[in-house]
Amino acid sequence: MIPGAPGTLDLDKLFAARLHAARVRPYLATALFALHVVESRRVPTMAVDRNWRCYVSPGFVDRTPVEDLAGVWVHELSHLLRDHHGRSDRVARERGLVGPGERLRMNIAADCEINDDAFGDGLVRPEGAVNPGSLGLPEGELMEDYLRQFRLGPHTQSLAWLDCGSGADGLEREWDLGPDGAHGLSAQERDAVRFRVAQGITARPGNAPKGWQRWAEEAFHPPQPWRELLRAAVRSAASGPGAGEDYTYGRPSRRSAGVPGVVLPSLRRRPPRVAVVIDTSGSVSDAELGSALLEVAAISRAVGGRRDLITVLSCDAAARFVHPLCRAEGIPLVGGGGTDLRTGFAKALRARPRPDVIVVLTDGQTPWPGTRPPCRTVVGLFPRQQASRSWDEDDPDYVPDSPPEWARVVVIGSAPAAR
Amino acid sequence: MPTYTPFAATGTLSEPAHASQLDVAGELLALLRDATTEPRPDTQLEALTLAVAADLPVLLWGEPGIGKTAALTQLAAALDLPLTTVIASVHEPSDFSGLPIVGDDPAEQGVPMAPPDWAVRLVRSGRGLLFLDELSTAAPAVQAALLRLVLERRIGALQLPPGIRIVAAANPRSSAADGWELSPPLANRFVHLQWTHDHEVVVRGLGGTWPRATLPRLDPEGLSEAVDFARRAVCGLLSARPGLVHRLPSNETRRGGPWPSPRSWEMTLCLIAFASAAGSSREVLSLLVRGTVGDGPGLELLASLDRMDLPDPEVLLADPAGAALPERGDLRQAVLDGVVDAVRKRPEKSRWDAAWALLARAVETGAPDLVVVPATTLAALRNEDWDVPESIERLAGAVSLSRRADHAAARAAVAAKAGR
Repeated sequence: MIPGAPGTLDLDKLFAARLHAARVRPYLATALFALHVVESRRVPTMAVDRNWRCYVSPGFVDRTPVEDLAGVWVHELSHLLRDHHGRSDRVARERGLVGPGERLRMNIAADCEINDDAFGDGLVRPEGAVNPGSLGLPEGELMEDYLRQFRLGPHTQSLAWLDCGSGADGLEREWDLGPDGAHGLSAQERDAVRFRVAQGITARPGNAPKGWQRWAEEAFHPPQPWRELLRAAVRSAASGPGAGEDYTYGRPSRRSAGVPGVVLPSLRRRPPRVAVVIDTSGSVSDAELGSALLEVAAISRAVGGRRDLITVLSCDAAARFVHPLCRAEGIPLVGGGGTDLRTGFAKALRARPRPDVIVVLTDGQTPWPGTRPPCRTVVGLFPRQQASRSWDEDDPDYVPDSPPEWARVVVIGSAPAAR
Repeated sequence: MPTYTPFAATGTLSEPAHASQLDVAGELLALLRDATTEPRPDTQLEALTLAVAADLPVLLWGEPGIGKTAALTQLAAALDLPLTTVIASVHEPSDFSGLPIVGDDPAEQGVPMAPPDWAVRLVRSGRGLLFLDELSTAAPAVQAALLRLVLERRIGALQLPPGIRIVAAANPRSSAADGWELSPPLANRFVHLQWTHDHEVVVRGLGGTWPRATLPRLDPEGLSEAVDFARRAVCGLLSARPGLVHRLPSNETRRGGPWPSPRSWEMTLCLIAFASAAGSSREVLSLLVRGTVGDGPGLELLASLDRMDLPDPEVLLADPAGAALPERGDLRQAVLDGVVDAVRKRPEKSRWDAAWALLARAVETGAPDLVVVPATTLAALRNEDWDVPESIERLAGAVSLSRRADHAAARAAVAAKAGR
């Protein structure tokens, strides 16, 4: 291969671009260097496959300036780091999307997710890069969300050439070397590289844009659907030993017949009593509360709680009233103003018989009881992003009370990334 | 005492010559069961085999109906152990803690706790594979009794002999019908293996060809080497990262899963030794390690294993001409960084020269851009009276590349300014 001759891949230019990319995005250097370059004439520009090979068109390298190429490097790498191929496959399965047109949409949506904060800060936006704004979409969302918001049409006509390869949308291309080809990374190696990049970002979060920080936090611990977590927490609180289930001699075990002279206890269940304390201060929206409350009511019924055993307290500055929950639908919520959950706890515990489980739905901007209540506690927490940002930057000393150690905390409303 | 007549035994009774409907049905069933097998690497099963061989309590997490029982049958056949399956959800706690039997004089002789028949048979045979299925659908009290069985290996007054291996299975929280959940101390005692199905395997299996896993064989020659390797791997990581030794799971998502503690690190050490004696792949080791200490610490351990595989900088410096550098770019850069770091720790002219020769070799055999950073660092290590070695000429490509990147950076800065 003669460098510089027409039609051959100008590796020096390509590698100079990679070096530039690694310099302006040091936390991506490991991953950039792990990509294996494959020259291909069938690729329109640059494309990746799921085994971390990067297919490059010689013509594209020739006509693109080094600084633009650096942007393309980071862009293609982002598809792999963010597992766009795996997520595309999942979305396709869940929503029943088939055909190359849908895969093109996934590629465009994935590009939108990457491009809104990938460039700038030393990295030039390559010509023709899709950004959410050009499709009339808001910035900062995930590929799965973008995918719902646009269709292929005249305004996406100019994007039809766009092709980031099977690494971006999961659809095998004819140029792919496949999992058995040379220089591919195995699943374990890919995880290791992604992990190192994530570690580099979380170690020095100041250097990376918000989108990358969010990725690094969730790369190996994607948030789980809160409904499932809440269900598991309430269930295990309500059906764990000590709550609603115990051995009793009041009714002998059926097995006693086989052992004359011995009294065996039998296992008895009594339906658990669940008290739901709701923070109805102005900072929690009705929609959030409604969905969470319905969820708790449904779970409590599922673990055997009769409706008369579920009580709901709406609580702002003072707990106003306790009322038995008659129907899961149409629960009147009374409240507004500031919150002090301590009165809510006290009121719930004053009920006779005492509840087995207290479920608290709150945004957490409240004082908590100083001591552990004598029953299991599950906290459904509504995250407050605005508040957290303001205490980071404006007033670094102010930290709102976080839910106490003895409570099991489920963050409500954080939709998982890979849905 | 009535004896059970197994269903299969009816076939041995000589029936009239003309086939009854049941015989025809039997023929059809035989045809359906007639499936062949093909060898196929199966990382899940290999990981399970190693954990069972290492005698660690394994917990299989998997959706119902995913083939956990089939896998256990295959494992039992491979290890040549009789399989006993106990469905936890149909038992009472006393089945595992023992049933009281009243004798003639309870005050004098006490009340013995009699174990169930399957346990007696298991202990009598001395060896076997005990599979506790459906752990998650059992009542909490039964689960508690079962966990004692798994962890202490006792059923009532019976102690299970060491030849018996135990595997438990549970449904993940999302599909568990009851309040099943492991508390962190219990979760820490298990090797958690996620059991998933492979679409391709299922389709092919229903078509008549099931996979036959080739199971790992421990190499008797390499045992002490394996132990040594495992000790180096775990101790190397933990001495560099003391924070990883013990870390309780902090959030709800990770509850009930694996987490690092001295106990689980000891299990990890054991598993690494087994995997390395069996010559297992990194994929298998990854499943085991991440299932024992959790994803984060597990991945860190695997990353440090990767670094242990890299050539030693001192060896490379001793013979730069014959050095074999890794093919993958990120690993190659890690090696070169290591070499430069070694020179920094003991700066001598000969070592400095050898490092330049290595960098030159790296430029000639691979991508030049990843040499730039090590070369810059190495150049800064120069002593005033050291002459620049000739091999530096061979780095010209990397230098011009670096310059090109500098120009690009300058242009990008200008473009950014113009854009504002």
